Amino acid sequence: MNSAPPSAAASVRDAQRRCAPRARRGNGLKIALFLAPILVFTVAFTYYPFIKTILESFCSVNTKGEVTGFVGLENYAYVFGRSDFKKAILNTLLLTAINVPVTLFITISLALIANKKRPLSPVYETLFTMPMAVSMSAACMVFKSMFSPKLGFVNAFFHLNLGWFENRATALYTTIILTVWMGIGFDFLLFLSAFRGIPSQITEAASLDGAGFFTRVFKIQLPLISPTILYVVCTNTVLAMMCSGPMIIITQGGPSRATTTLMYMMYASGYGSSDYGLAAVVSLVAFALTFGFTILAFVFERKKVYYQ
Amino acid sequence: MSRKTKRRLGDAAVSVIAIAIGLILVFPVIYCVFGSFKTAAEFMKPRLLPQSFAYLENFRNALRQAPLLRYMVNSCIVALFGTLARLIITIMAAFAFTHYNFRGKNFCFFLVLGTMMIPGDILLVTNYTTVSALKLLNTYLGMCIVSFVSASQMFMMRQRFLSVPRDMREAAMIDGCGDVRYILQVLLPICRPVVITLFVQSFITLWNTYLWPLIITASAPNMRTIMVGITKLNSWEDTNYELVLAGVTISLIPSFILFIIMRRSLSKGGMDGALVG
Repeated sequence: MNSAPPSAAASVRDAQRRCAPRARRGNGLKIALFLAPILVFTVAFTYYPFIKTILESFCSVNTKGEVTGFVGLENYAYVFGRSDFKKAILNTLLLTAINVPVTLFITISLALIANKKRPLSPVYETLFTMPMAVSMSAACMVFKSMFSPKLGFVNAFFHLNLGWFENRATALYTTIILTVWMGIGFDFLLFLSAFRGIPSQITEAASLDGAGFFTRVFKIQLPLISPTILYVVCTNTVLAMMCSGPMIIITQGGPSRATTTLMYMMYASGYGSSDYGLAAVVSLVAFALTFGFTILAFVFERKKVYYQ
Repeated sequence: MSRKTKRRLGDAAVSVIAIAIGLILVFPVIYCVFGSFKTAAEFMKPRLLPQSFAYLENFRNALRQAPLLRYMVNSCIVALFGTLARLIITIMAAFAFTHYNFRGKNFCFFLVLGTMMIPGDILLVTNYTTVSALKLLNTYLGMCIVSFVSASQMFMMRQRFLSVPRDMREAAMIDGCGDVRYILQVLLPICRPVVITLFVQSFITLWNTYLWPLIITASAPNMRTIMVGITKLNSWEDTNYELVLAGVTISLIPSFILFIIMRRSLSKGGMDGALVG
C-alpha cells in the first residue's frame, strides 16, 4: 500500500466511496426483484384469502361474495346449530381416526417386509409404491367401478350384494379403504428409506444379544425412525382432515350425509350454493381442528421422538 | 441344511409373500386395465381377464365421448407452466435468502414458510372468488396461479444453496459474473439433482390436481384437465363402466411414465426431495 503512489490510493478510496452506496441501493432493488414474486403470490393466495375467510365468518355475505354487514357470531351460531355440521365433524374425525393408524400399520409392515435387500426386491418395491402413480380422481373412478353393487368385482368375488358406496352404513368405511389405498405408496417409500437408514451394526448387535424379531422392531427400529413416523402422522392427519375428493367424485356426501366431511361441506355450501359465510365458518373449524392436532403431535414429539 | 440355504429359502418365501401382497395392492390398477378391454356383456361376468386384448371399442368410445387427448394437452400445459413458474420463483427467492443480508429477511422468510401451516384446501372457496374477480376463470393461468408458491420447495432449495461454498460466489464475482449468470451457469448446474427432483415432484402434483381445475373450468368443458375429464365420463350413463375404465387407463399412461421418472429421480437425488409436495 505504502509503495503505491498517493494519488492512485486516493482515487481507489474515492471510487470505493462513490461506488459503495450505489451498489447497496442496487442490491436493495435486486433483492426486492428476487423476492417480489414469492411474496406477492404468498400474500395474494394464502394470507389474503385466509384473513378474508376469518373476516367473512363474522359478516353476512351475499351470493355474489360481497360483504353486506357485520353479524358477529351469528354465522357460527347458525353453523354449530346445524345437524349436518355435527355429522360432518363426526365423519371427518372418524375418517382421520381410522385412516391414520391403519395407513401407518400397513405401510410400516410393508416397509419391514421389504427392508432387507433380496434379488426380487425391485419387483415388490415397485408393486408397493405403484398406488402412488394413480391420481386421486383415477383411483376414485376405479374404486367406484370395483365396488359397484351390480357390476363390481368385489361383490362378485365375495358373493355379496352390498351397495358399498350407496349404503349409509358402509359408505364412509368404503371411502376410508380408498383413502388408505391412495396413501400407501408414498408412505411406504418414506418408511423404507427410514428403515434402511438405520446403521446395520445397531440391529446386528441387538440380534447377537438375542433380541427376537419383535423386540428388535419395537425396541430399536421403530424408536429410531420415530421422526419419520411423526412426519407421516402429521401429513396424513392433515390430508385426512382435508379429505373431500372422493366425496365430490363418488358419493356427493351421501347417502343421507353419511360421507359429508367438513371440506365437502365447505365445497358444497361455498362453491355449490354460494353461501360464503357458512363456508368460511366450516373451513375455519376444519383449520382449527387440524392445527390443534398438529400441535398435539409436536407436544407428543418432545416426549417420544428420538433424534439420532 | 446349511445355514446359507436356510437363509436363502427364507428369503425366497418372504419374496413370494411380498409379491403376493404387492399384487393385491395393485389389483385396482390391473382391474382397471383388464376391464377396459372387456365388452359390456363380459363386464357382467365376474371374470378378471378379458376375452381378448384386441377389443378396442371402449377406448374409441371414450375418446369419442370426451376430447381426452385435448384434456391431456391441457393438463400438460398447466403442469409444465405451473412447474416452471414455481421453480423460477423458488430459485429467485432461495437465492435472495441465501446470498444477501437485508433488513426484514427473517420476516420474509417466515412469512413464506408460514404458508405451510395453512392447508390450501380451506382457501379453495375464497381463492375461487379472487381468481374469478381477476377474470381468470377457464384460463390456464387461473388453473395454476394458486400453486405458484411452494414453501417446502423453497425451503429445500435454500438448504441446498446453503451447502454451496461461499468462495464459489466470490470467485464468480471477481470474474465479473452477475447474479443471474451465476445462478444459471454455476449454482443450478451444481444443484441439478435437487432441481430435477423438485421439477418432477411439482409436475406430478400439478398433473394430479383435481379440485382446483374442477371448479375453475366448470363452465368451459374444453379447458378441463384429464383428471377432471375422466370423472365426467359417466355422468349420463352410470352403468357404462368399461368405457370409464378405458378413459382411466388412457389417463394412467402418462401417470406411469411420470412414476418411472420419479422413482429414478428419487433414487438419484435421494429421498430428501420426496418430502416436498
